[in-house]
Amino acid sequence: MTTKITTAMFMALVINLGFAKGIGLTQGIMARESENDIWIATILSVLQGAVLMLITVWVIRRRPDMTILEQFDAIVGKWIGKVMALLAFVFFLGAYIAILITFVYHFMDYFLPEFPVWMFVLAAVAIPVYAVFHGLEVTARIAVLGVFSIVALNLLIMVGSLKDVELDRLLPVFETGFWNTVATTRHYDTDWAMATMTAGMILPLVNDTKSWAKGAVGGVLYGGILVLLWPILECGVLSAPQTGHYIVACMQMARSAQVGLFLHRYEMIMIAFFGISLLVQLMLLIFCASLAGSHVMGMKDYRGVVIPVSLILGGSGYFVVLNHNRAMSLLTNNWPVIALPIAIGLPLLGWLLGLMFKKKLAAAA
Amino acid sequence: MYLHNRLSLVRCYDGSRRPFCFVTFIVTYFVMFIVTFFGAFLLHFSLRVGGWFSNGGSNVVDVQELLDHHIFHDLGENVGRVKTILVKNADLVQRDFSVREAAGPACTLFYIDGLSNNMLIDAGVLRPLIIDSVLRDRIAGSTDSGREHRPAGPHQTAERLLINPEVKFADTYQKAIDGLLAGESLLFIDGVDEALLVGTKGWESRSPGETATEVVIRGPRDGFTENIRTNTSLIRRRIKDPMFRLESLQIGTRTKTFVNVVYIEGIAKQELVDEVMTRLESIQVDSVLESGYLEELISDAPWSPFRTVKLTERPDVVAAAILEGRVAILTDSTPFVLVAPTSFWEGLMASDDYYSHFYLGTFSRIIRYIAFIVSLTLSSIYVMLVSFHQEMIPTELALSVAAGRETVPFPVLVEVLGMETAFELMREAGLRMPRPIGQAVSIVGSLIIGQAAVQAGLVSPIMVIVVAVTGISSFAIPSYSTSFTIRLLRFPIIIASGTLGLLGFVGAMFVITVHALSLRSFGEPFLAPMIPFQPSDQKDALVRSPWWMLKSRPWIAKDVTRQGNDQMPKAPKNNGSGKADLAPDEKASDGQSHKSAQGKPGSDHGDSKSSASSGQQKRAQPAGTGEQKDKTRRSRKPKKILGGA
Repeated sequence: MTTKITTAMFMALVINLGFAKGIGLTQGIMARESENDIWIATILSVLQGAVLMLITVWVIRRRPDMTILEQFDAIVGKWIGKVMALLAFVFFLGAYIAILITFVYHFMDYFLPEFPVWMFVLAAVAIPVYAVFHGLEVTARIAVLGVFSIVALNLLIMVGSLKDVELDRLLPVFETGFWNTVATTRHYDTDWAMATMTAGMILPLVNDTKSWAKGAVGGVLYGGILVLLWPILECGVLSAPQTGHYIVACMQMARSAQVGLFLHRYEMIMIAFFGISLLVQLMLLIFCASLAGSHVMGMKDYRGVVIPVSLILGGSGYFVVLNHNRAMSLLTNNWPVIALPIAIGLPLLGWLLGLMFKKKLAAAA
Repeated sequence: MYLHNRLSLVRCYDGSRRPFCFVTFIVTYFVMFIVTFFGAFLLHFSLRVGGWFSNGGSNVVDVQELLDHHIFHDLGENVGRVKTILVKNADLVQRDFSVREAAGPACTLFYIDGLSNNMLIDAGVLRPLIIDSVLRDRIAGSTDSGREHRPAGPHQTAERLLINPEVKFADTYQKAIDGLLAGESLLFIDGVDEALLVGTKGWESRSPGETATEVVIRGPRDGFTENIRTNTSLIRRRIKDPMFRLESLQIGTRTKTFVNVVYIEGIAKQELVDEVMTRLESIQVDSVLESGYLEELISDAPWSPFRTVKLTERPDVVAAAILEGRVAILTDSTPFVLVAPTSFWEGLMASDDYYSHFYLGTFSRIIRYIAFIVSLTLSSIYVMLVSFHQEMIPTELALSVAAGRETVPFPVLVEVLGMETAFELMREAGLRMPRPIGQAVSIVGSLIIGQAAVQAGLVSPIMVIVVAVTGISSFAIPSYSTSFTIRLLRFPIIIASGTLGLLGFVGAMFVITVHALSLRSFGEPFLAPMIPFQPSDQKDALVRSPWWMLKSRPWIAKDVTRQGNDQMPKAPKNNGSGKADLAPDEKASDGQSHKSAQGKPGSDHGDSKSSASSGQQKRAQPAGTGEQKDKTRRSRKPKKILGGA
């Protein structure tokens, strides 16, 4: 764990974390609740994510050499620290399942419908585990590649669908009500929660402490801009009710994109770009779950628990993705209820405890 | 109790069980031990005796003990020892003589026929010691007694008599024999306990010729040879810098291969040089016959299909690499030089990118990047689309593919693997056969067999096109090792795509990317400057910017300043009278050039040549500050131009 990454790499990680699920599954779920206001909900959610990220950075900055879990250890003791680590593990388990749903349903529903589910789950476990064993630096470098691929994907979708956009479909704003729109943000907040929780685990591995806030918040905002294109296009091209009808709304969007007569189907090129971002998410979540797992077990090196942790993650995910209804119900109803209390509660608790036990935290070895 | 009974009772030959006798057991055990011990001793002894007979008794003597011994005073003993060490060496030549026509001490000269130059031995060793020493005595005899001029030891001999420029002293047989086997002449003088090693190396070697693996359109035609000294001279001819460093070491306990590490101090990072030296010095092998041995022994990722050390046989490439802060490793007996650190993208760059116009260099480079992608992925994408994702193919194309595949009895994966294997087979056959036959094999393979296979319905025409385009793309990659890596990686990607469709393709590509990203070449990221992204190095990555823009060296260099500011050439302004408004310096230059064209003494160059040489001279002076910039500008003055020319 001595290898450090740069702030730019960290920013790339944050951008990737908010993207893959955020443009498709989340937009579909949000469209079912707030219809054509999903783009407003996305903006509001990005702002909430930025605030949460800022709080996380403040918490970690108190002891830049400690993860949020190590800070809990130092303040409230080892055993309560383990409980916090267990909570974090539960969060990363849920987040992994959410991303696994995204991964499997993209590939299975749109490209390989005859393949057994276990093959997708195996790929979603084995490939990220291979990367996790190479360390965070490699993951961060791929994340840089992931950002380029996100930009390429956005350009492709714009080229293929801008001509079909009807801005009237975005109006009227707040059709389902302001508070409903605000409430809808909880779905996209779960995506940013992945970024903030990951930041709490990996910020000590980022080089320049002073640029943490800039990198983290910048990552959320840049990522938000890259994501924002999708709800606008989805509402403008597909319309909000249509978007809400699909599990993977972005794939339907990509399928409807067309460049001339010859390139009438290029969603496969887009999914190749999209896949990088998706795999970066899976890698990071296995990495952070392993960090939390090693903390629970009291181990110094996370590599010792990568295989068992990935088996738990993969096994749980397999059970969920086997059934579309179960998966979507979990994502829509249960996941925000589990994710947000942990993702908001842990940094806030860390901030509060750090304020109360400032000296204890500073004195901790 | 049961176990006790089993142990304490032994079954006798008549089937009954009797109590176990401990004394009998001990005696039997002791007898067996004695028999085994003596048996082993006898076997060992017989093998030794057999060895004596079979090897004429020479191996009985531990050669290493002899080598470690100090040189004797007695000439006879020294000669005998050398003959003992180098027994059965038909090419070992011994020449006995006396200094000053028997008036001086007796000497014996050893050299290896074929490794030493007879002319050098004659002119540099035998003649000075036998004949010239007498003349010298006769001349000196008028003033001094001959006794005072008699050489008392090897140092005096070397100083006063030997005219060969390279003379070393050996105090142990190890040093003496090492030198002798490296081509030097070994001279023993009676009564002297040191031997002389005279530099008389000289053997048949190839002269620098055009390389076979790195062909360029524009650029120097000389390539490295098997002679390390020729190779270092080819680099030195290009870099006349006092900070040029050449460190030497010998690797291989038996081959004692000379290895030279070349770099420019101040440009190459000292940590890099230390790392290279440490890795080389830690090698403990018996032989190094080619730089490939070293490459595998110093590589950062020994199991990786990617090469983390660059390989070249072009001196200009090595010189350019050294000037960028890299370190070159030259190995004796091979024209292939290793360069470290390297990045993957360097394998897609050719040396004539830098010699041609930058538009052409950039265009060629982009074509090669496309070739890299096509070579790596085209076959896999074809397999993936045709096997799993037919709906992604445009309708007209899908119909063409389907029509072509109508008679093919194999699945696409088998078809592609078969064709790719056949292509590799033809490539290998063409490579190993004599050149004229190799070309014939390629033509027969590609045209006749390909056409026949299509007509027979074994492969589809589109498959032939796909494999051919893939193959041609791999030929467009300048570095053979990079091309080979891509060829090697193509197969797992094809298999993954052919079995798992898009999932397999994305997965295989991702794993390869992760692997490549995890690689380092002597501490530097293997995929830099793309990942991690180095903005300053992008001028010489995907595109080749003009030389006047390449202000800084790559990220790996210690001193990154390559040239001064404002190196972009500017055309003189037109003053409206139809004549160019030249700057004072340029006016002077212009006038001078005219004079020189009219036959000014000391100059046989025309205007254009003078200008060209001035440009070269100017670029040879690195300048980063304003003052340096002025100096650079001043270097355009005509006097300097002519001086330089």
